[in-house]
Amino acid sequence: MINKTLYLREMKKSLKMLLIFAMILTMYVAIIISMYDPKMMETLDNFYEIMPEVMSAVGMTAGANSLIGFMVSYLYGFILLVFPMVFAILRGNGLIAKYTDSGAMAVLVASPVKRKSIVITQLSVLISGVLLLIGYATGLEFVVANMQFPGELAAGELLKLNLGLLALQLFIAGICFLSSCLFSETKYSIAFGAGIPALMYILQMLANVGEKAEKIKYITFFTLFDANGIVAGDAGAFTGSVVLLVGAVVMFAAGVEIFSRKDLCV
Amino acid sequence: MSAIEIKNLTRDYGGGKGIFDVSFQVNKGEVFGFLGPNGAGKTTTIRHLMGFIKNKSGVCTINGMDCWKESAKIQNTLGYIPGEINFFDDMTGTEFLAFIAKYRGLTDLERQKELLERFELDPKGKIRKMSKGMKQKIGIVTAFMHNPDILILDEPTSGLDPLMQNRFIELVAEEKKKGKTILLSSHIFEEVEKTCDRIGIIRAGKLMTVDLVETLRERHMHTYTVTLDTPEEAAAFAKDFDGTATGVKATVASKQSLENIFMNYYGGNSDDQ
Repeated sequence: MINKTLYLREMKKSLKMLLIFAMILTMYVAIIISMYDPKMMETLDNFYEIMPEVMSAVGMTAGANSLIGFMVSYLYGFILLVFPMVFAILRGNGLIAKYTDSGAMAVLVASPVKRKSIVITQLSVLISGVLLLIGYATGLEFVVANMQFPGELAAGELLKLNLGLLALQLFIAGICFLSSCLFSETKYSIAFGAGIPALMYILQMLANVGEKAEKIKYITFFTLFDANGIVAGDAGAFTGSVVLLVGAVVMFAAGVEIFSRKDLCV
Repeated sequence: MSAIEIKNLTRDYGGGKGIFDVSFQVNKGEVFGFLGPNGAGKTTTIRHLMGFIKNKSGVCTINGMDCWKESAKIQNTLGYIPGEINFFDDMTGTEFLAFIAKYRGLTDLERQKELLERFELDPKGKIRKMSKGMKQKIGIVTAFMHNPDILILDEPTSGLDPLMQNRFIELVAEEKKKGKTILLSSHIFEEVEKTCDRIGIIRAGKLMTVDLVETLRERHMHTYTVTLDTPEEAAAFAKDFDGTATGVKATVASKQSLENIFMNYYGGNSDDQ
């Protein structure tokens, strides 16, 4: 079903981007985890008191009193949401819509490879990239945490948390992929594939800030990823992740079907 | 048996654009010229044949297989040169040719090498930096390298210099000898005249005529037979004017009148687009 030659070419293209993102994540994760210090928490809590809106907009809330709680506050509000999202946006557009727009898709379609297998190959490349990125982040967090604070981070909790994050990122990848399959021009593919996730993230930031804007949380899918709830083992948080995952699968399937049936003016 | 068959194919893009009730077939082993001005519907017809767009009404088959439903199967024995060449810009020509061979599952690269030599193409550079002609050559190599039985060539010589255009025409003639079926779209009459058995002329989405090249020529071209003083003179006259000589008689045809044929069909109206 997957064309290996195409998969390898596209993975090679992903690789450069993955390396850059991995470097950024390494830097941030290492620095932030090393900042964890129950005494330091006071300093950060002071920051929070000085500028609560700014801190909570990016998901940094006061009063985290465990390493994982600290990580949820300072990694899962911005860095681990935004960087994999940017990756999905760039690759999502590059894997389908860019070729349809430039006409290079003709090369892929004018061959004995079925359209469905072309689009599934491209989808596999996108999913592989997201998996690699989240997988790398998980390993990195685990190693850094254990080097600096041996025994403080429960591997099980971290795994659960990152599975939830994976569901969210696959959902975002689903939006990018679907819009890439739907539109034959890059400008529209990007407008929707990047626009929707970015808008939702901004709404999430607004909702975080507070009281009056809190209702906004009902219109952004980021709410479905409840990092604290997942760590605490909330049923609601678990359901949220399942909803995200199901949504991702539905969008992937829709993208595959749409691309297989659409008219390609290449 | 016809290798390519199009029956009552219509695709209305609105505003007079598209193709309307186009029907023709290309027989096995035949070279069919598909002529028309820009925007006449040549590429739209070809997109149907390639399975890029779905036929909304009408029938479109290659070797009896539906061009939309069985496009992947058809592509096994089909070679295609797109009207507008766009490859993966990030690759070098060499990388691209290796990629496309592997992607298609082609293992025998002998023909690819032979074609590169024939068109004097050195594909080492980045595709992004290649000239139109070089990209066109790569397009030709990718269309012929898997030795397909059917070739769909959309304005295949655009960007090639006259020398390479001739080499391409030779290639088409060779393929024809091997029994290949070829659909060649063009807006250049000479190219089609040299290579094709039959010609279909399309204008504003409607097929105006389908006829043998000879018939078209006979119907519209004026030929003159003149008697000269000596057989040598007759031969020289025939040579200069691209005609034939028998004894002291030389037969020549008016050259530009083939263009006139097309002008008759294309017409002077401005609704070509």
